[in-house]
Amino acid sequence: MSSPPSLPPRDATVGEVTRWLGEHRCSARQLIDGYLDFLEHLGREIGAVVETFPEQARAAADQSDQRRAAGEILGPLDGIPFTAKMNITTEQGTSDASSSILKGFRAHEDATAVRRLRAAGAVLTGKSNCDEFAMGASNETSCHGVVSNPWDRSRVPGGSSGGAAALAGSHGWAFHLGSDTGGSIRQPAAFCSATGFKPTWGRVSRRGLIAFGSSLDQICPVARDSEDCRQVLQVMEGHDPLDATSLTLDDETVQPISRVALVSEGFGPAIDEQIATAVQAAAGQMADQGIEIIERSLPHIEAANACYQVIATAEASSNLARYDGVHVGARESSKDLQSLYETSRHRGFGSEVRRRILLGTFVLSAGYREAYYTRAQAVRDLIREGIDQVLEECDALLLPVSPFAPFPIGERIDDPIALYACDILTVIANLAGVPALALPCGFDASGLPIGMQLMGARGSDHRLLELGSRWQQWTDHHRALPDGGAA
Amino acid sequence: MTWQTVVGLEIHAQMSTETKMFCACVRETGAEANHNICPVCTGWPGALPVLNAEAVRRAIRAAISLGCQIQPESRFDRKNYFYPDLPKGYQISQFYRPYALGGEIHFPREDGTDAVLPLVRIHMEEDAGKSIHADDQTSRIDLNRCSSPLLEIVTEPLPMSGVEAANCVRSTREILRWIGVSDADMEKGNLRADVNVSVRPTGSDPLGTRTELKNLNSFVSIQRSVEVESARQIQVLEAGGVIRQETRLWHQEDEVTEEMRGKEDSPDYRYFPDPDLPVVIIELTDIERERSSLPETPASRRVRLVEQLQIAPREAESILARREFGDFFDAMMAAGLSAASASNWFRGEVLRHLNELELNLDDYPLTAESIAAVVKSVEEDRISVAKGREILQQSIADGRSPTEILAGTSEQVSDESTLMAWVQGVLESHPDVVDKIRAGDARLMGFLTGQVMQASKGAANPRKVQQILQRLIQQS
Repeated sequence: MSSPPSLPPRDATVGEVTRWLGEHRCSARQLIDGYLDFLEHLGREIGAVVETFPEQARAAADQSDQRRAAGEILGPLDGIPFTAKMNITTEQGTSDASSSILKGFRAHEDATAVRRLRAAGAVLTGKSNCDEFAMGASNETSCHGVVSNPWDRSRVPGGSSGGAAALAGSHGWAFHLGSDTGGSIRQPAAFCSATGFKPTWGRVSRRGLIAFGSSLDQICPVARDSEDCRQVLQVMEGHDPLDATSLTLDDETVQPISRVALVSEGFGPAIDEQIATAVQAAAGQMADQGIEIIERSLPHIEAANACYQVIATAEASSNLARYDGVHVGARESSKDLQSLYETSRHRGFGSEVRRRILLGTFVLSAGYREAYYTRAQAVRDLIREGIDQVLEECDALLLPVSPFAPFPIGERIDDPIALYACDILTVIANLAGVPALALPCGFDASGLPIGMQLMGARGSDHRLLELGSRWQQWTDHHRALPDGGAA
Repeated sequence: MTWQTVVGLEIHAQMSTETKMFCACVRETGAEANHNICPVCTGWPGALPVLNAEAVRRAIRAAISLGCQIQPESRFDRKNYFYPDLPKGYQISQFYRPYALGGEIHFPREDGTDAVLPLVRIHMEEDAGKSIHADDQTSRIDLNRCSSPLLEIVTEPLPMSGVEAANCVRSTREILRWIGVSDADMEKGNLRADVNVSVRPTGSDPLGTRTELKNLNSFVSIQRSVEVESARQIQVLEAGGVIRQETRLWHQEDEVTEEMRGKEDSPDYRYFPDPDLPVVIIELTDIERERSSLPETPASRRVRLVEQLQIAPREAESILARREFGDFFDAMMAAGLSAASASNWFRGEVLRHLNELELNLDDYPLTAESIAAVVKSVEEDRISVAKGREILQQSIADGRSPTEILAGTSEQVSDESTLMAWVQGVLESHPDVVDKIRAGDARLMGFLTGQVMQASKGAANPRKVQQILQRLIQQS
């Protein structure tokens, strides 16, 4: 057999690369070598990559090529490179959630999602940077350093899955696993011009996801397009006996979405005008293709961010209690137990994580619990009911992902309220447990990416992804790549 | 003024499931330290709890047996606090919505009358690990016990003495053991109690301020701590003082209680629903399935033994002492013995063996069926009672089954003419003894029987020998 003439183009989707592999235009080994080269150079340059697994990845690629030669490929992802966010446990390498307190932590075990993807032939090539314990919207709280936005390296890539989205926004061929608790896959996807999908809560097992806000967390794919996200979801999703909250899925017949509601609050005064215009234009393109566009208001959305801050921090304060310097977590030598706890936790956690633990501890405390935590749960019920009601009148909601464009590194990091404002349009999906898909929909005047999101009813994940795929056939925003760092 | 002591209990019982509450680790006591642990029970990043269905089944059995209302929906919450033997930094427990409400414990008063202690609730929770504080200023942590399944039984307050408080825990232990939910062994730490004690003037209605004594692990400590603490409270009150609501430590050796922390210092556990665990749904069919597989209660077994099987109440009590005793007795009857002989042989032989060998019935080498086979041989006159006992003893000693030994044993001779020859020979050799018996010394009958048994080399049926001896001596 003659050697293949070249590697796929840098913007090629996983689906396109799969066809290259199928037609023997390149081998998995060549693909993985090329992708490792990208990770080691551009990936590290922008701070998106924490570690790579060249030996294991090359061995896995060789095995994939052998399977293909024997006609025994494991599916469409066989031989495709992927990375996992630092808060997702992997057998290889470290899984420290980008926190000093877990520095060097080896889980020795793949998260269920990672295990399923590897069993389908996908090749784990490295770990991606993120905000510490996924707390942040700018990837500036990581113990591994800041990640730069590939479209403008002076700006943030968004967060917390900033590394994963920056990789997906810079290069094709691969997909990346991140997580989304309040927008952590969608907002960086929008900032980096990638496609990111947050599934229905419980659709993907959380086993192996280092918990932040358990009732909100989901493992998510971020990739070049909606179809790639769908392929990845299909492998990851479904009941896992190791996660009692993971869903048992019925066979879903994917009814194409025909009616979409623009969420009026997504176009208010707090939203950047260019972003609002771009998303409205996208709605117009959908209408041109025969999708009925209506406009609806989401009740209680103005309370969503406060509600989210209370619930996410309450759960985080408990989830992060295990990093106490006794069992898991760096131990600072101390004269007694109390100071062991205090110094280990004070030195191990960064200031944003400490802030959220303190806030979460406060909202659960006797005397404040009713006013904050209990009330936030009641508001959460209202938000869920509100979104469910609107989704009875349409198949999906359309709104921007972020109210503003990627901002300069350092601009908001000392202003938590300004940083939390990133989440105002994303947290509702987590509070309601509904799926949400972030899609690139253009660029502003400064050439910075703009993202829009579709939200659907719980369980309509594949319908949303199907609409995303259709829309991406009509448009080519998702094909754009930033200059520099050629593969 | 006289005072009345009021006691409320929180009884923690470890359920005897194969595995732990939320993971597949083996639940066993006494393993090498940190041997039975996994990412879930040690709270490793990324690990999630999954509820053990067997623990729920056992919890349902306990709730049925204690007469609780089982809740169709219950939930697990997180109780947050820092301690080195609590690796997650929280304990998973049912705080807001326990699976069982109400119920009662029947217990004997000191005067022997029956009394009822109402329950508030029972909830499921996981245990913490163990901290071992060594003399060299180090502390070691053993997480084997961590996440073992517990039931916490919370009672209402009721006037009672220290002895009666211990009786309540004893009654609870008996029930949990009887239904196979817990080994409930205080020495092994799988049954512990917290005791709430208050005193009030006799005849007064409102409860006094209570203090809590935690982690009592013997019946003596329950009894004595209630007695000592109520005496302390009375002394304080009579001296014009007030009781503070607080948690106190019980020192068993010195028999004193000591202040540990006041109510205002009690930790804020910041309970909230555990988002990792779905609502626990218990259907009526789940409850019915457990109910139908519950063993006969001690009370209904007592009625069956005494009224139906006509066993004397005192004899019945020794069979009722433990559930497995009654089960063994039933198995002996199922193997064909009458109630009377099953009772005689169980009490006379089986219990004696257990006593002598210091064994639990679980470790007893003989089966009810093989004992029944031996007893039947006795009842059919093929072997003597003494021979039957000897076979059982021998089987225990050398490990051969009683039926095997039985097969190698020659049947005793019951044939009238053969026996007659042996008896006559003995009577002729001992005319003086015959005379003495006729003169009224009946004890010598045993001597003559022994002589006949010797003459037959042990083969004669001793009962028949006695009959013939009696007949011949009286005749002539």
